[in-house]
Amino acid sequence: MKVSLNWLKEYVDLSGIPVSEIIHNLTMSGLEVEEVINQNEIYKNFVVGFVKEKIKHPNADKLSVCKISNGTEEMQVVCGAPNVEAGQKIVFAQIGAIVPNGNFKITKAKIRGTESFGMICSESELEISSNHEGIMVLSSELKEGTPISEALGLDDVLLEIAITPNRSDALSHFGVARDLSAIFDRKLKLPEINLEEYENGIKDFASVEILDPINCPRYSAKVVKDVIVKESPDWLKQAVQKIGMRPINNIVDVTNYIMYETGQPLHAFDLKMLKGNKIVVQSTTVESQFTTLDSKVRKLPANTLLICDAEKPVAVAGVMGGENSEVTSDTKNILIESAYFNPSSIRRTAKALGLSTDASYRFERTTNAGGTIYAAERAAQLIAELSGGKVAQGTIDVYPNAVKQPVVTVRFARVEKILGYYVEPEKIRKIVLALGFEITFENDEQISVRVPLFRPDVEREIDVIEEIARINGYDNIPTISSFSVPLGVKHDESSFYDKVRDTAVGLGFYEMINNPLQNEKTAALTGNQIGVLNPQSLDMAYLRTSLVPGALMVAAKNFNVGEKNLALFEIGNVFNKNSEETEIKSFSDFKEETKIIFLLSGKASLKEWHGRDKNYSFYYLKGLINSFLNNFTLDNVLNDSYYHSGNRIFDFIFAKEHDGNLIGNGGRINKEVLNYFNLQQEVFCFELDLNLLEKLSTQKSKYNPLLKYPKMMRDFAFIFDKEIEYEDVAEFIKKNGGSLLQFVRIFDLFESESLGVNKKSMAFELEYFNENRTLKDEEVEKDFNNLITLVSNKFNAKLRGN
Amino acid sequence: MLDEKIETIHSEFLKEIPEADNSKKIEEIRIKYLSRNGLLSSLFEELKNAPKEDKPLLGKKLNEMRNSIAQTFEQAKAKVDTTGKFFENKIDLSLPGITRAIGSKHILTQTLDEIKNIFKGMGFSVTLGPELESDYYNFEALNFPHDHPARDMQDTYFINNNFLLRTHTTPVQVRIMEKEEPPIRAIMPGRVYRNEAVSARSYCMFHQVDGIYVDTDVSFAELKATLVSFAMQFYGSDLMYRFRPSFFPFTEPSAEMDITCFLCHGSGCKICKGSGWLEILGCGMVDPNVFKSVNYDSEKYTGYAFGMGIERIGLLKYGIDDIRIYFENDLRFLKQF
Repeated sequence: MKVSLNWLKEYVDLSGIPVSEIIHNLTMSGLEVEEVINQNEIYKNFVVGFVKEKIKHPNADKLSVCKISNGTEEMQVVCGAPNVEAGQKIVFAQIGAIVPNGNFKITKAKIRGTESFGMICSESELEISSNHEGIMVLSSELKEGTPISEALGLDDVLLEIAITPNRSDALSHFGVARDLSAIFDRKLKLPEINLEEYENGIKDFASVEILDPINCPRYSAKVVKDVIVKESPDWLKQAVQKIGMRPINNIVDVTNYIMYETGQPLHAFDLKMLKGNKIVVQSTTVESQFTTLDSKVRKLPANTLLICDAEKPVAVAGVMGGENSEVTSDTKNILIESAYFNPSSIRRTAKALGLSTDASYRFERTTNAGGTIYAAERAAQLIAELSGGKVAQGTIDVYPNAVKQPVVTVRFARVEKILGYYVEPEKIRKIVLALGFEITFENDEQISVRVPLFRPDVEREIDVIEEIARINGYDNIPTISSFSVPLGVKHDESSFYDKVRDTAVGLGFYEMINNPLQNEKTAALTGNQIGVLNPQSLDMAYLRTSLVPGALMVAAKNFNVGEKNLALFEIGNVFNKNSEETEIKSFSDFKEETKIIFLLSGKASLKEWHGRDKNYSFYYLKGLINSFLNNFTLDNVLNDSYYHSGNRIFDFIFAKEHDGNLIGNGGRINKEVLNYFNLQQEVFCFELDLNLLEKLSTQKSKYNPLLKYPKMMRDFAFIFDKEIEYEDVAEFIKKNGGSLLQFVRIFDLFESESLGVNKKSMAFELEYFNENRTLKDEEVEKDFNNLITLVSNKFNAKLRGN
Repeated sequence: MLDEKIETIHSEFLKEIPEADNSKKIEEIRIKYLSRNGLLSSLFEELKNAPKEDKPLLGKKLNEMRNSIAQTFEQAKAKVDTTGKFFENKIDLSLPGITRAIGSKHILTQTLDEIKNIFKGMGFSVTLGPELESDYYNFEALNFPHDHPARDMQDTYFINNNFLLRTHTTPVQVRIMEKEEPPIRAIMPGRVYRNEAVSARSYCMFHQVDGIYVDTDVSFAELKATLVSFAMQFYGSDLMYRFRPSFFPFTEPSAEMDITCFLCHGSGCKICKGSGWLEILGCGMVDPNVFKSVNYDSEKYTGYAFGMGIERIGLLKYGIDDIRIYFENDLRFLKQF
């Protein structure tokens, strides 16, 4: 909210306090000053100038050359505005001035060959209005050379304050001034009402009825007769502009001014347009339509609180008035509405209409139920003064549902317990009084206060403690130098993921973090997708069901920028409904699982001086996944399986299972999916369920005594039929190699015409040992020879090398 | 006689040994000179027959030679590897080494790890929670009433009326307190979502670390001390800090913590928007209404809570000017950290 320092000074004496200190203290007491606009700084080098002479520019039809006096010297200025004339007082931007609109500096210039020493400004260039039709012509009474900030009252400091949602009271100059008065211990002096009322009573002109007292607990109104609607005087226009509003007329400007002064939103109705001179406040029961004063037709849901006359709606309560009853230049008699509405009702309506106004913003944050009459009277007084109107006697105040003022007890010991330091009761007393609380009881241990209605955020002891803390200053809360830490078992639920990450990084993978929101088609590729009700775009409307699509999108992006060799991983959550039709009503209707994805593509190693380049392949994927899993002591826990088809994503498929449950799978991304993601090279992925893996890997492995006796190695190579798979042979060897054979390893594989058609050679290394004794050459030789025969016979294989 | 022999054999050895560039030759030399029937043994045999008066001097000389030969032999032997090949003695040392690839953690993970370690050092546990959260945990239990403007502070992705993508990691606080009795001392890192248009400054998701400590005597002073200690460990011990009153529905009193801008050291720059201060986190004393929703007695227990964004730290620390780059996962970015 924009706040004017000059305006604040009308309510609290801030003399002798530097502006910087005011700003600092506001921020440090909870009203964060986000921006400071010092008009004196902005309008430095702008003065009142006098146009002594105007002649046509010799080289340009639309330009004129003026002689401008600034009181001490005369300067030549080229001006393009059609309305500049000799004898005018104008705003003269001298050399060095920085024009607010556009932020450019005035320097000596040559315009179409003629020198120019400054600029004559329009209102829009000064950013005091959007009027850019010609230069701004000032009152002839102003003395040339007078600084513009002084001449136009632009000597204010404007503060942009971030008001937190709890501080509805601070959405007004009164509220900010009250905080300042408490902070600096200066008296708050709010304007007194000084109404001259017309003899006829208000009841002769209007009546108010509330049919929905829950959503409208209070409705106050004043009537002003015989107003002349016109432009506001300069001071009011400037005041309204300072807080960022556009001046409209003397009625609307006053209602806005009073809203920014007191925090109470007001609305002025043209009384003539209210059928039956009546206000009826009620909620709708069905959907309806209404044209607001911005000429827009609004769809109103059922349960919208409306202000109606005897026949029809005339305003959406607390949000915006209607076109049918707004104040126009013909308006003679007005009714000023000053009401208190139920915050949630206004909020629901504002949300439903997608319309947030200054009024709804305040109403939905709770306005001051005790301040309706004051605001109505103050507005009536100002309107009468500025429009020549007469205030009808009395105030309508329908208040069926009195808002209660809580009485809160604050224990001094509790203040100390929460804040960690002792605050003297006298100090507490002073703070609560300065903030407008009324002390109803006090003793040595506690104090009870009645909370004013303009502080709806204060209901409990802790709320008052916060007030004490913030006014006394958080800087005054000591920091202690040591604290105790409760002992007991400390858990780190992320430690398993940390180990997973470290392992992946050690294997050469880079970590990525992807956006889990994607389009429906992509999410549907890998599971039962869950949609978002209110997405920013269709591209981000569903939660990922697997980490694979996100990884593939990253691959595509990297390929596009020339990064073709990728080893990436991501740890993240995926989301799946139990079935396509499931509606999510509880946590058991969907699964959120933490997974890891590995992605490989391009070259595993480049061509180097010491070796050939190598491409990532299915075997790299398989090997790296196994290396990864080795770090989690899962040697004998997981089973592998392989498929060539049967999956929507992969064609070479490699899966890890435990007790029939899939722990993870992956392989080569199939052509269709590659096309879908616009990928031009082979990609390999593997996705693992980390929740399951974590459970399995907690099983501790046992220590194996170190082998005390030497091993004996043998190797052989056979020519096999091509279809015979490695694993069948290896398993056969393990099973039939004798009790001394411990390990089998394939170390060579090749195909060649020299081996015969559809033949291949596989060479195995065999490791023999016994944990309890040294082996004899003969016994190993016997087993080995026996094995050769068995393998030859079983696979119809031919031993190579002899 | 023997004297000459010693000299001859020694010089013969010194001539042969440099030529022994494989293990076979080394072994031949060992057998020739140093084995039981080798030349040195025979010299010692001869020593027995030498004149008595010459024995001490010859013996000494012979021993010296044996030691010298044995030492030179061991040196030569050490140059030959087990495969029997002599080590190359000149290679191009300037060639690039043969590398083994290592990856890296995402910069956000690295930042989070650093934060985690600091808080673990101060006795905090680490707890995780779901991203697809219920309205109850995300808002209601945290004292965000329905139809309250406080909900506007966090633009929310809704799944339906009761489920949403969590807007902060604070709901994990409630989940911990539902399960455990005080003392509770934990941090809660994780991913959160905000329904905001994606731009250089905001993204639809980011990462947060929340923290909570509940015990019988936890005060704002302790909150301040803990966070100041964190900030000094994380950002450097020479910083200045301040706590400003703020508002969060789940804490009261609430505060935001600023530290002096580490780019301009407080004099004002673009990063801190001229203020000299950078906001790094929000915090406060746990609101009694939150305790009420987990059935804690707020007369008996007090607690503090805090939360900070991770992405912002990198934006500030590494001068990253577009938040989207975190989630592009361009390898050229990932490799920088």
